[in-house]
Amino acid sequence: MPLRSINLPGIGTKYELETEKQDTIAVFFLKSGNIQMYTLQHGCQTPSVAELSPPEARRLGSILTGAIMEADRESVEFAFSALSDLRITIHTYLVGKTIAGKSLEDLRIRAKTGVTIIAVSRGDKNIINPAADFELHEGDTLVAIGESDQLRRFERDIMVT
Amino acid sequence: MQGIVLALLVCLLLALITKRYALPTIPFYIVAGLVLGTSGLNLVGGDEISAFLTHLGLLFLLFFLGLEIKPDRIWKNQSAILSSGLIDLNINVVIGFLAAYALGFPLVDALIVAAAFFISSTAMAVSSLIENRKLLMRESETIVWLMVFEDIVVILILAFLGPQMNHPLAILVKTLTVLAVLYAVIRFGKDQITWVLKRDDELPVLLTFSVVLGISALSVYLGIPESFMVIAFGTFLGTIDPVSFEVQSRPFKDVFLVIFFVFFGITVNLFAEGISIPALLAISILAVVSKYASGIAIGKLIHRNSHSGIEIWANTIGRGEFSIAIAALYGSAMVSSAIAFMVIVTSIIGAFVAKYSGKIGKILIRPEPHVQDKAMEK
Repeated sequence: MPLRSINLPGIGTKYELETEKQDTIAVFFLKSGNIQMYTLQHGCQTPSVAELSPPEARRLGSILTGAIMEADRESVEFAFSALSDLRITIHTYLVGKTIAGKSLEDLRIRAKTGVTIIAVSRGDKNIINPAADFELHEGDTLVAIGESDQLRRFERDIMVT
Repeated sequence: MQGIVLALLVCLLLALITKRYALPTIPFYIVAGLVLGTSGLNLVGGDEISAFLTHLGLLFLLFFLGLEIKPDRIWKNQSAILSSGLIDLNINVVIGFLAAYALGFPLVDALIVAAAFFISSTAMAVSSLIENRKLLMRESETIVWLMVFEDIVVILILAFLGPQMNHPLAILVKTLTVLAVLYAVIRFGKDQITWVLKRDDELPVLLTFSVVLGISALSVYLGIPESFMVIAFGTFLGTIDPVSFEVQSRPFKDVFLVIFFVFFGITVNLFAEGISIPALLAISILAVVSKYASGIAIGKLIHRNSHSGIEIWANTIGRGEFSIAIAALYGSAMVSSAIAFMVIVTSIIGAFVAKYSGKIGKILIRPEPHVQDKAMEK
């Protein structure tokens, strides 16, 4: 699987890969920001070409690496097909009156639900991996990670009590 | 002032149409200029303001060329660049020179026409490869290196063009001194320049604009080749952060270059005495044929295949920005009209040939059996 990359002045960077079955795939990162992908079947003369915008290219990339991402309005689910279909969801929640003033330790979130709070967004500041004694304020946004079942339990037992 | 606005509006309209059909825009700007100006309706004439704006267009074109030049990359690929480039140079300069001389151009004028005859448009070649989705072709790399070679030749030509009042040796010494000072300033001011470029206020764009104009003014003051200095300065700055200098100078380049092309058309008089329209047409057609000869020769040498030659030919027919730049800097009326005509004809034919190169190749060249097929026959 030889991979060749070359910088073409005025055009951009080219990556060319020949597969085991001698098909050719070439990807060009153009200076305009777009990406052209050429696939050429072995023995064939004319390639077929797709031009992708950067978000489209990233999407294609994550499909090819096996991490399929489904984005909801408040949550993102990652599925790693290579890891016996491991699915992880990241969800955001707004802190209301009921849990305001309590620390993560007081709420015993992980013990009760299995969910981990990986970040808290307060105003224009983000706190990554908040400590156990971190105190929540009304209006904070929690970023929680877990399986979808665990997140449902978290919603029911912690957020709405 | 009204003239510039009218010319710009016409160009805007033309750009809307040509971009829609993925056609090269440069010939249409020049045609617009010819129609609006001296050769046509005489609605718009050049004045001091337009002269200043066209000068800016030329400066930013050259600065951009400088940013693209990467000496280390050229050094690493010198064999690929030289092998095809020298064939291209020899064939086209000789044919261009003989044709121009035969048409009655004086010796020096004929050399200038030959230079413009030789230099293909890098912008057109690149956009044609991308638009026609031909980047995967083996020939596309050859074409890209060919353009790099031509860019280097452009720099050498521009270094000798323009008014030179001093003794050549004095110019050389001054140029080298200024280059050394600039290089040192850029080398030691690297952190400060990077700091300015990272800001999101008016500083980066102000820096880019004023240094380009500053180098130009300094060169004129010292009597050293202005175009060459602007390119060299671009190359130096390219070692710091080519991408952000490109981003900062692109709007200037885009808009002033359009003014440059349209006013070049406006000031050219196609019906000036000295050379007839049929003669202009003849040299333009010859410019297409001559690139065919060099394309086939390069295709046979590098890819051992005439069909490769067709692709190289198809994407290098169009003459464009640098041919016009040479004409504008040289400033002879007869040379300018010949080059304007050549750019229009070759770039339109080039766009067409590049799009249908496959079919055209089959008509021009007998289908060659592939190497693999030959092996099978044995």
